[in-house]
Amino acid sequence: MRVGLSGIAHVHADAYVGNLGAGGATIVGVTDHDEARGRRFASDHGLSWFASREALLAAGTDGVVVCSETARHLEDVSAAADAGVAVLCEKPLATREEDAAAIVARCDAAGVGLMTAFPMRYSPPMRQVARRVHAGDLGEVWAAQGTNQGELPMRHRAWFVDPAESGGGALMDHVVHVADVLRWYLRRDPLEVYAATNRILHRDLVAVETGALVMLTYADGTFASIDASWSKPDVYPTWGGLTLELVGERGVIAVDAFRQHLVLHGGPDGPLGWPSWGSDANQGMIDDFLAMLREGTAPAVTGHDGLAATRVALAAQRSAATGAPEPLVAP
Amino acid sequence: MTRIGIIGAGFMGTTHAAAWAGTGASVAAVIAGPDTPAADLAERYGAAAHDDLDTFLASVDVVDVCAPTDLHERFVLAAAAAGKAVVCEKPLARTSQQGERMLAACRANGVPLLVAQVVRFFPEYVAAREAVLTGAVGIPAVVRLTRATFQPRKAADNWFVDHARSGGLVFDLMIHDIDYARWIAGDVATVFARSVQGSRTEAPSDHALAILRHRDGAITHLEASWAQRPPTFRTAGEIAGDAGVVSWSSDESEPVRVDLEQPTDAAGEIPRVASTLAEDPYTTQIRHFLRVLRGEEAPIVTGEDGLAAVRIAEAVATSIRTGRVVEVSGAEGTDDVGTDREVTR
Repeated sequence: MRVGLSGIAHVHADAYVGNLGAGGATIVGVTDHDEARGRRFASDHGLSWFASREALLAAGTDGVVVCSETARHLEDVSAAADAGVAVLCEKPLATREEDAAAIVARCDAAGVGLMTAFPMRYSPPMRQVARRVHAGDLGEVWAAQGTNQGELPMRHRAWFVDPAESGGGALMDHVVHVADVLRWYLRRDPLEVYAATNRILHRDLVAVETGALVMLTYADGTFASIDASWSKPDVYPTWGGLTLELVGERGVIAVDAFRQHLVLHGGPDGPLGWPSWGSDANQGMIDDFLAMLREGTAPAVTGHDGLAATRVALAAQRSAATGAPEPLVAP
Repeated sequence: MTRIGIIGAGFMGTTHAAAWAGTGASVAAVIAGPDTPAADLAERYGAAAHDDLDTFLASVDVVDVCAPTDLHERFVLAAAAAGKAVVCEKPLARTSQQGERMLAACRANGVPLLVAQVVRFFPEYVAAREAVLTGAVGIPAVVRLTRATFQPRKAADNWFVDHARSGGLVFDLMIHDIDYARWIAGDVATVFARSVQGSRTEAPSDHALAILRHRDGAITHLEASWAQRPPTFRTAGEIAGDAGVVSWSSDESEPVRVDLEQPTDAAGEIPRVASTLAEDPYTTQIRHFLRVLRGEEAPIVTGEDGLAAVRIAEAVATSIRTGRVVEVSGAEGTDDVGTDREVTR
């Protein structure tokens, strides 16, 4: 399968190059609106540079991975849909609900496959919990508390803290992963979203919220909180993490997606490191994308999932602005 | 020697009596309700078992109220009227109105009122606060506090699970972390909360989450749970500040691992944190109270702190009931916390 990279703004683009290769794909090449950055990326990874996305899409390309800034996803995905090329799009799907809806509609209309980059769907710890929840081990799920805390991402990519490009701050960056896991586990979307945010951490560096606590409420009264804060310090042994604890009729199940790591004291990367030995969820996601291209299989995570999670993040932003819980009406 | 009178001979009365005895104070008198007779506890410390409140009060210097929450006001008012110093188990009261009357009575009678918010004496919680005060954590931004255990169980008169008497999970368990959050990040402006029994009255045990907005800008996530299995009692915390992040968890700090063929210490009826310390935090707390009563120390937790925690708990309960964001009433004027905040900055 021939896969291109449409935009390399996202921090995961580097990893996807390796994942695509390991999955047996041929990487057609890379394009980006920032030519200097794109050329450097192409050269660093020994890939071909394309001056336009149209050229990339026309190069016998079966699929593209869209890793541009969130506000540019719609343009990149629309071009791919028009060219009949399937898409794996970085999260969140878009900065505005109408853009996210348009991304899904364009791909549906063109009949091209669309996946959202939610690697947690492919994390073996998260999958084990999904199996247990769906098998009824927990009975009815009544409550959940999740965290997806991270470092300030501008350490990696400055645009993450520019609302014009990213759509906001910690809420836009980190609500969607746990929101999507909850959609996956509970098989429904919340009806109400409350969020409290602040900007105490890194307040001299960024204009967006860095602390963010969210509560989702579902039709049957089930509720789930998400800590989406950029609250891990720069000296933290890793970028952050994702945890979820579910309370149900038959007890409690808790999962820490990144618990499988060594503890390393000393070495070139600092006094304390957590080298991961867990399975690479990104590889599972890329393999699923390649299977969709190759065999037309239905992927485990779709554009509709990306739209649903984006709607939750946007509702959280509205709630943080008004201070009141925000209703989330099905579109 | 200070003569201590204990009201209530249940789990907490027994715990406090042992702590007082450990400090060298004299457990002089015990009075208790019919379900937990005073005689056994009194006998253990050579104290007098009373059934008349007036003679009980006349025989002691300090009254330690370990009765069920809904009875706190009655006993604190009686002790204050008798001119006795008062120690009151948390939560201070079942309602803020009760708490206000208790504070007013103690003030009017010139007697000290010390509230047993014991988490302020657990060393990991003290050490985490020190990390904030010394600047290692900096200004608190996002605080997470977890207290997860099983529902207290008792064959007779399980007042813990009687919402009208104890206030349920929020007043009995979450109150610990409500008080601690306020100790760390200051007064609370609004709360938003959900609970399992708030949405499913038929659920056998409760589990609650609350998001607090503090007046100075910090936000706090509280988890209180009676939905775990015995003997689980998990406590954890994390304070992310602009200089650093401090965290702790009972899961990560149990120094002894036991895997025996015949376990000898099955879970009791009332959840209790395992303590592997030179001094039990309950004793540390009582030792502090004794020094306060002797004029040797300023109180670490005041009646006003106890009342502020009750007000926040009321707001949490209201939010659970109404599904709305609730403003915390009367949070002005607790300037003792403000003093701490100045030190923090």
